[in-house]
Amino acid sequence: MNIVIGTVLLWALAFEALRRMRRDAPDQLPALWVRTRNLMIFMVPRVVVGLLGAGFIAELLPVDQIQRGFGEGSGLIGVALASVLGAATPGGPFVAFAIGAAALKAGAGWPALIAYVTAWSVMNLNRAIVYELPLMGRRFTLVRAAVALPLPFVLGALALMFPA
Amino acid sequence: MSTQPPDPPAKPPKLIDGAFLFILALALGSGAAVFWLKGADRFTQILLHDLGLSLALLPKIAAGVVIATALPFLLPRERVLALIGPESGLRGLAIATAAGAVFPGGPSVTYPLTIGLMAAGADLGAGVALVSGWVLFGLNRTLIWELSFLPAHFVALRVALSLPAPILMGLIVRRAMRTGAER
Repeated sequence: MNIVIGTVLLWALAFEALRRMRRDAPDQLPALWVRTRNLMIFMVPRVVVGLLGAGFIAELLPVDQIQRGFGEGSGLIGVALASVLGAATPGGPFVAFAIGAAALKAGAGWPALIAYVTAWSVMNLNRAIVYELPLMGRRFTLVRAAVALPLPFVLGALALMFPA
Repeated sequence: MSTQPPDPPAKPPKLIDGAFLFILALALGSGAAVFWLKGADRFTQILLHDLGLSLALLPKIAAGVVIATALPFLLPRERVLALIGPESGLRGLAIATAAGAVFPGGPSVTYPLTIGLMAAGADLGAGVALVSGWVLFGLNRTLIWELSFLPAHFVALRVALSLPAPILMGLIVRRAMRTGAER
């Protein structure tokens, strides 16, 4: 359902962009189609192969152990462990937030959970390998990973210092 | 409105590169491992599921690609440069972060969009801020998924703590780029 809504919304935007192209720069349309075709040829094999790889890797990773691992964590070690596990959690938001919710029920603290969700958001290895590296290139991926790396630890530590 | 063709000129991207071979090897290796450890049935099940998912994503990807390629033609380069170019300052990074947070669509859309904006004049710092804004605050994900699983209080605290992060990351990237350029 989510995919359908997003697709409809994006096509509305795409048609609006095409309408403007026809109005303002009709002579550029052939160049646009060449680029669109090139980018599609570039992206489709990467997305298909990436999704297949992600599916197989998710099957091999012990997701239930990830949840157990940071459910018991506490303090800075718990934050660090949760950060690593967050980066390693495969799959979409459903998996990560379900693990987070289960860990919360099992007694995980907010600092570890913040580190986990933040690490999953910014460091997500799954997304980096499937999408970011092939689409954006090594330089962009490494630069962004380098500046994002401290964030889960910093936010987890902040949550430790100022308990809500 | 500018009708200058955007630079760099359209050239077909390299189809087989190191990154592609890497994810290909990963898919083949993990696929073989699943086949070996979990059996042919489970392997086929995952294969069909993910091929189906790719098919379902295809129209969305196509729309994202059309938008991303049209952007450099439609947005006047001077305006993109002023808004989110290398000299756009904190305001530019804030705009890029907000754009990442509100734009609908997953990675198959946001990354091409970032490529399009960077081709239109956005700098690496703004690109990093945009992607960070999306991964930390993507409204679709935060509203639909995070709030249905985790307490609203928790989500509010996480978002509040994360708020300055994309702008800070963009600033660090810009500073590093500048130092790198001077050297």
